Amino acid sequence: MALVVPALGLGIYAAMENRPSTDGTPVLALTLPDTSGKQQPLNQFRGKVVVVNFWATWCAPCREEMPEFVRAQAEFGDRGLQFVGIAVDEADKVDRFSKELGLNYPTLIGGYGAVELSKTLGNNLAALPFSIILDRKGAVVHTQLGPLKPDQLRSIVGKLL
Amino acid sequence: MAGGALAQPLPLAPNKAFRFEARALNPQTIEARFSIADGYYLYRDRIHFSVEPATVPSTVPVLPEGKVKQDPFFGRVETYRGGVQVNIALKDTVPGQKVVVVVESQGCADVGICYPVQLQRVTVALPAANVAPTRPGQPKSWLN
Repeated sequence: MALVVPALGLGIYAAMENRPSTDGTPVLALTLPDTSGKQQPLNQFRGKVVVVNFWATWCAPCREEMPEFVRAQAEFGDRGLQFVGIAVDEADKVDRFSKELGLNYPTLIGGYGAVELSKTLGNNLAALPFSIILDRKGAVVHTQLGPLKPDQLRSIVGKLL
Repeated sequence: MAGGALAQPLPLAPNKAFRFEARALNPQTIEARFSIADGYYLYRDRIHFSVEPATVPSTVPVLPEGKVKQDPFFGRVETYRGGVQVNIALKDTVPGQKVVVVVESQGCADVGICYPVQLQRVTVALPAANVAPTRPGQPKSWLN
């Protein structure tokens, strides 16, 4: 049974006004271009624990949490953890920042349409960063508006891997 | 129960965090201002004004200086807290006509979220004729 994990006081706004969908199907059904323009279907990650992170270069809090995502991807990637960025941004800026950071997971260009998708997942304010965590069955087990704290991230994905 | 006593209130909707108002000071001048809630800030270089209809040419002054900070990715950026105000000069207005002030803005909250670009529109009815002159305001930001 898919449950939305409560915020536990660690995340700032994991408990949203409207209960977000627990069905990750619309997310995994997405196909978005990467920074080179190549279309990337998200269902290629089905079966993994997937952290989908909506972000933008113009969002400083987004950029600040991403080094931890890089560390977690390196540490847990071989156990089935997969980060996927969806940037509400322009491809050239995303590409530049991704290279500066040494991003080790794909980040796709969602444009402002991605904001609309995030609304259906509980991001009522359409703000960033917004992250959702899917279990291996594709169910949304956590949504988070605002940065994911490192301990919080590891606690959640540790139970799913 | 989620979050219990540690839960924090939801962030404000962007139009509440960055409340935009505009009013006519006289038939050729509109005062436009953002009132920014505590804990929120706007980026100076992401504020853009325009006036509709296009038959009313407008001149927006250079926005006042904001608080400078160094962004690791963008370099020098300026932000406004508390509020910011400018006077927009209009030409070729018709007495009593209505114009629409359109503003794009983008800001963030200290709790660690940012909002996408917001587009706000305020309709302003210009005075029917020159009324008592209103003191001309200078662009300003306040509350740092």
